[in-house]
Amino acid sequence: MESIDIIKSNYIRELLMDGVREDSRGLNDFRSIKVAPGVIEHAEGSAQVDLGSTRVLAGVKLIMGEPMSDTPDQGTMSMAAELLPLASADYETGPPSPDSIELARVVDRGIRAGNCIDLADLLVAEGKAWSVYADLYILNYDGNLFDAGELAVMSALMNTKVPKYEDDKVIREERIKDIKLNNIVTSATFAKIGDKILLDMNRNEGNAADARLTVATDGSVVRAMQKGLNGGITVKEIDDMVDTAMAKHVELKSIMEKATKRSL
Amino acid sequence: MREIVVPGEAVADRPVRMHNTCICNDKTYATIVGLFDKEHNEIIPLEGGWLPHIEDVVVGIVKSSRNSVYEVDLSYFKRSILIASKFERHPLKVGDIIEASIKDIEDRKTIILYRERALHGGTMIEVKASKVPRIIGKNSTMVNQISELTGASITVGRNGIIWMRGGDVGLATEAILKIEDEAHVAGLTERIRVMLKNRTKNGE
Amino acid sequence: MASLANKPDLIVNGKRVDGRDFDELRPIKIEAGVLKNADGSAYLEWGNNKILAGVYGPKEVFPRHMADPSKAIIKCRYTMAPFSSLADHGRTGPNRRSIEISKVTKEVFENVVILSEFPNSEIDIFIEVLQGDGGTRAAGITAASVALANAGIYMKDLVYAVSAGRIEDKIVLDFNMIEDNYSEADMPIAVAPRNNDILLLQMDGGLSKEQLKEAVGMVLEAGKKISVLQKAALNDNYKKATEQYGQKQ
Repeated sequence: MESIDIIKSNYIRELLMDGVREDSRGLNDFRSIKVAPGVIEHAEGSAQVDLGSTRVLAGVKLIMGEPMSDTPDQGTMSMAAELLPLASADYETGPPSPDSIELARVVDRGIRAGNCIDLADLLVAEGKAWSVYADLYILNYDGNLFDAGELAVMSALMNTKVPKYEDDKVIREERIKDIKLNNIVTSATFAKIGDKILLDMNRNEGNAADARLTVATDGSVVRAMQKGLNGGITVKEIDDMVDTAMAKHVELKSIMEKATKRSL
Repeated sequence: MREIVVPGEAVADRPVRMHNTCICNDKTYATIVGLFDKEHNEIIPLEGGWLPHIEDVVVGIVKSSRNSVYEVDLSYFKRSILIASKFERHPLKVGDIIEASIKDIEDRKTIILYRERALHGGTMIEVKASKVPRIIGKNSTMVNQISELTGASITVGRNGIIWMRGGDVGLATEAILKIEDEAHVAGLTERIRVMLKNRTKNGE
Repeated sequence: MASLANKPDLIVNGKRVDGRDFDELRPIKIEAGVLKNADGSAYLEWGNNKILAGVYGPKEVFPRHMADPSKAIIKCRYTMAPFSSLADHGRTGPNRRSIEISKVTKEVFENVVILSEFPNSEIDIFIEVLQGDGGTRAAGITAASVALANAGIYMKDLVYAVSAGRIEDKIVLDFNMIEDNYSEADMPIAVAPRNNDILLLQMDGGLSKEQLKEAVGMVLEAGKKISVLQKAALNDNYKKATEQYGQKQ
């Protein structure tokens, strides 16, 4: 961390003692959220999400392939995240960093555990099934990539159309139907700073955080969780965070449904 | 009348010596995005980092210290050296924020500081260095009015780092970021005054 | 490259597959200052191409021993998003093609950036092709130019780039992907418009001397339009605030 970040972290901690955040948000408030689906026409599905100044872009490509040998009756899904060097002075070029791998895996886990994509519906014939590739591109970094990423990939899936497949050929120009989805999952990521817990940290708050927890939910059950950083959290705190995540799910889901004009 | 020029745009069809231009084939061209003031033959940059000059006031953070020689971080790129005077009473610690002036620049690389003053507590924000003159204002009018109306003490470094403490730092930050966005617009001092007055009134 | 067996008709009744004339550019839209963290940035739509360029710097050179006390060094990275193509799912990160494009792009900007203004420093240029439909390197250079100006980097000129080439016996400007795949020659060119210095030139296929001349002429003519759009993008970045407040005092 640069020395200026340490000074900013101290300031964030000082403010939080009075329950105040740098941008005067409430502790359980998200920053403003904008979802723009379909921004990449070449992709079968896409969405750009702005969460405050954090900007991410998810693209979904459908590739005709083979089912995995242990699940011969369904298609597959895979996820990758790229922290682009233009998104932040802190990001460097090179092979995927542990941060980007964690990000992709956490976002993937929520969507997979929530059975969001109907993988069985991706099977088109024996030994032939769609593989869903979701790629998450970080364009501008200002904290909380987990929730921005979950929103972007989920919205991109809600925007995804399946191309025509005929006579062993994929006809990309013709998209015949929406991809079949079973569930909508959203996540809420919290930072613990001192003894205060706050939702949706920006970059400075992320630098000041002692502990971090991501809760992915479909509104009825928790689908995935990931704790990060070296600070500890109590059982009571987890309880509160799960409550907040469930409550926020309704709000996030409705933002995505409005933007993508698709609801479940 | 001031107009916006971009790199490669001709500003005179004869060679004219001015900052932020280059002369090629006996014509003068802008080398930066800026406001071209025809009357004064001057291009005021609208974008860009900081190129240090002697006597610039800067804000930085002490990065290391050894025998009263301090390395000071002036942003993520520029580093500088402060040689404390013999009579120094309160030695600086790593992590201290200081305000200082540039005494010299050696080999276009090493910035030597003097006239340092420690700044205690508070927070810092970074702005584009090209907008700093607007944030300070003519004869410091802009920064003085922000300080007055928000109650925050503010020190502005030419390197784009601004230190603030006390009063309504949030509102002061908002005002400074607004100036950064609208630095090229006329009548800014008055507009910022109105904004701050309205906001402080509502707050009461 | 695509096989010639299923080559489509690229010219029908004197018009191209997308209805353009031979010397007609695709629609171009440029926006400057779109990314908050980057020191300079630009978003460009050029036909179906969607490109994001970001610039960081001048900043500290990494690794340090590469620092040059007399001038800045430039690093450039051009990559295509895995979802950028209509067809397949590409691989993330640089490949041999993108490494070559990054190199020639870097050399373009080493010419126009006034490197001596920034000794001991590094300027990073990132070009991300979010959606590609032919001519992405030219579009990337055009966008990166605007991003560099937006970062306040000193430059002698605002570079643009566009390609021209040959379909059958016709010289044609600004190929899209289909034309790119089946054309007889393709030639991306980057130009410093002030004195029409050619800063990037690549070609493959076959062009006669006369055809080459015609293609270059077409590029220089189209470049005038691109330059206007680049300047407008930089201006518009400030215009909004000026319109909102400029007149009242």
